[in-house]
Amino acid sequence: MHYIKAASSITHQPSFQQKGFAADLSPLSVAGEVIAPNYKEYIEGALLRRMGKILRMSVAAAKDVILQADAGQPNSIVVGTGLGCLLETEKFLTNTLTLTGMLPPTAFIQSTHNTIAGQISLILENHGYNMTHTQNTLSFEHALIDARLLLDEGQELVLVGAADESIPFLEEVSRNLLTASLPVLTSGASFFMLDTRVAEATVAIIDVKVHFGAEDRGAIVFDFLKEHDLSYPAIDLLMTPLSMQQQGLDSFGKVFAGTRQHTYLDYSGLYPSASAFGFHMAIDMMQMDRRIGYTLIINNLSANSLGLILLKNCEA
Amino acid sequence: MVPAAKISITGLGIVSAIGCGVEENRRALVEGQSGIGTTYSETLPEGLLVGAVKQSDQELLQRLRLPNGYYSRTSLLGMVAAREAWDGQSSHPSLRTGFIGATSVGGMDQTEQFYKQYLQGRKVDFKSLITHDSGYTMEVIAQDLGLTGYVNTISTACSSSANAIMLGARLLQQGRLDRVLVGGVDPLSMFTIQGFRSLMIYDEAWCKPFDDARVGLNLGEGAAFMVLENEKSIEITGRLPICRLTGWANAADAYHQTASSPDGKGATLAIGQALQKAGLFPEEVSYINVHGTGTKNNDLSESIAMQNIFGDKLPPFSSTKAYTGHTLAAAAAIEGVYSVLALRDGMLLPNLNFSTPLAETGLSPIVELQTGQDLTSVLSNSFGFGGNNSSLVFSSNGY
Amino acid sequence: MDQIKQELKKQIIEQLNLEDVAVEDIADDTLLFASDGLALDSIDALELIVLLEKFYGIQVVNPEEGKTAFKSVDTMAAYIQQKTAQ
Repeated sequence: MHYIKAASSITHQPSFQQKGFAADLSPLSVAGEVIAPNYKEYIEGALLRRMGKILRMSVAAAKDVILQADAGQPNSIVVGTGLGCLLETEKFLTNTLTLTGMLPPTAFIQSTHNTIAGQISLILENHGYNMTHTQNTLSFEHALIDARLLLDEGQELVLVGAADESIPFLEEVSRNLLTASLPVLTSGASFFMLDTRVAEATVAIIDVKVHFGAEDRGAIVFDFLKEHDLSYPAIDLLMTPLSMQQQGLDSFGKVFAGTRQHTYLDYSGLYPSASAFGFHMAIDMMQMDRRIGYTLIINNLSANSLGLILLKNCEA
Repeated sequence: MVPAAKISITGLGIVSAIGCGVEENRRALVEGQSGIGTTYSETLPEGLLVGAVKQSDQELLQRLRLPNGYYSRTSLLGMVAAREAWDGQSSHPSLRTGFIGATSVGGMDQTEQFYKQYLQGRKVDFKSLITHDSGYTMEVIAQDLGLTGYVNTISTACSSSANAIMLGARLLQQGRLDRVLVGGVDPLSMFTIQGFRSLMIYDEAWCKPFDDARVGLNLGEGAAFMVLENEKSIEITGRLPICRLTGWANAADAYHQTASSPDGKGATLAIGQALQKAGLFPEEVSYINVHGTGTKNNDLSESIAMQNIFGDKLPPFSSTKAYTGHTLAAAAAIEGVYSVLALRDGMLLPNLNFSTPLAETGLSPIVELQTGQDLTSVLSNSFGFGGNNSSLVFSSNGY
Repeated sequence: MDQIKQELKKQIIEQLNLEDVAVEDIADDTLLFASDGLALDSIDALELIVLLEKFYGIQVVNPEEGKTAFKSVDTMAAYIQQKTAQ
């Protein structure tokens, strides 16, 4: 079994180092700014000066998780990101198109998707497995599956997380490409320490599943629960990005009629790996209310991708 | 302990500067024919040496007979290689099938065309941006082959496709999948060309991997995929194993964002752990396809790492980057295909453009093609930005 | 010469995004790449090459050449003077 030893999120909500934050969140109506800690307390100046927003958020959240877990070095670092380091990518792209002569290399260096996991390894001086998954709205779920594989291969402690950042250009793109009325575009970084040992009452990950393709979602969810001898009423808390009505999935919502339902995207704002925030919200709610036994997080944000995470409250 | 499941490689597909398809690539390797040259592309700097795939986007579209739509060159190249490797296999109700691709820049070739017009204030088609993100690039390839379920993309710079291959192997070994198509693709783009130029490691002349006078790399483009199957899958598909994938490892150098450590720490860990996973002593490695980009830093650090593991009994080794250019996220898959061909055909591939060994280590790669060799295990190294180091081990079927 | 050095210090701070460093913190002979100096690294060396091209029109083709020129603000100023005099 895999347990959540520590969790940390830096987002547009007061989520950082706030146990119980999930209980009194208000939906975001305007994106505003990320609520960030003083990064200098987490990252030394020499590295900080080159880091864009996504890197600062990610490294600080990762560092916070390490401190909270107080268990030393993780065996591995696994990160999911839908769009990667957009700010630096746009900066270098603009430079290649507008400047002549030698170009400043820093933005190029910081533009690759694996800069996030790479910088975390540098700061921790961690020589373990270091991986970056980028699969649109399922990037976090893929990172989580990889982390669980590592734990099943004999590792004990894995740092896993997801991050994405918004840039002004993305607003323009979404105005032109997205038709549905979706929450505001935001940035977010959430990191978690997974542990194979249980030391205190905590939340366990029972299973994670991803599915690409437009097959019958109801059947996939049903089979997923059945694999664990569960039926719909066994789920105490259902987390989805948007409400079933908003997504035109009324019939799907009905089978969970008796289950407490909660959304996360109106709180996190929209970014590809926002399900990591939904995951953190669920963990926080479960830790605050031990009566919640099973939680199912359904990530159906993209029409052709489905992510499922099954959690359970555990006693030590 | 339950014995580890055997992982067989049953299909290969490739497109690179030295050819379209496995056979064209094999022939060019044997003939010592490099694919690096100056380009005549409108979108790339004139006179620059690159390893370009010789077909234009339009030619690739026609070859693939695709319906109209938005395609990045990345997806087009990926589809060419993925179709060859997949070889028209169909879905099977009792086989769990997955797809894992790797790319470092996704559809950047399209994005930079768009952004150029956008900055000039011209009328732009925002829909072309749907091809930008890396995950979408792979979804297009998966859809082309009718693959659903586990579809994932890895992005760890120049080691990306080694990590995609490795993840596929792990999913098979843990019984999560029965067969998986794995590989990687990257196109040439101004973004990466200017990026490596800004790092002052782009050789304006031919790259010279492992040569003392090396000054940098030439970029290339391409794609390669391979099919991994477990025993249950082979029983059902009836496909013949070409060889096995026996070892893999990834380790972080944690030294510097772009430079490799002088003691080759991450690379040494990756090579050592991959051999351990394969259950091999260092002296059992028959050939090493090195990362060998031709930069001062990589080739020295990789030499030190190899000496750390192999001491003075270093197996024959060579870099094939002077054939294809450095194809970034596709490199490990392309070189994985070459490693499999070396193993299958019993040949040691030459390291082109080499004349003088590194002053610091004195290591000399294979410079002439050697055939009729009895190879049992081949090591393939791939190292990337962020200190991301991966090694794979391919072994012959009987081994 | 002193003016070049003052300008250089400002440009270095700006180009390298040295958030916590002020012009007064950099002495003319502060070792730019030493750990007890500004502790710059190989990426900074490239940014300094960009700086020379951008502000002084000097092209450093061989990165090795930069190594001696970028020891301190003193050596950088001397290098600029030598190159612009040519």
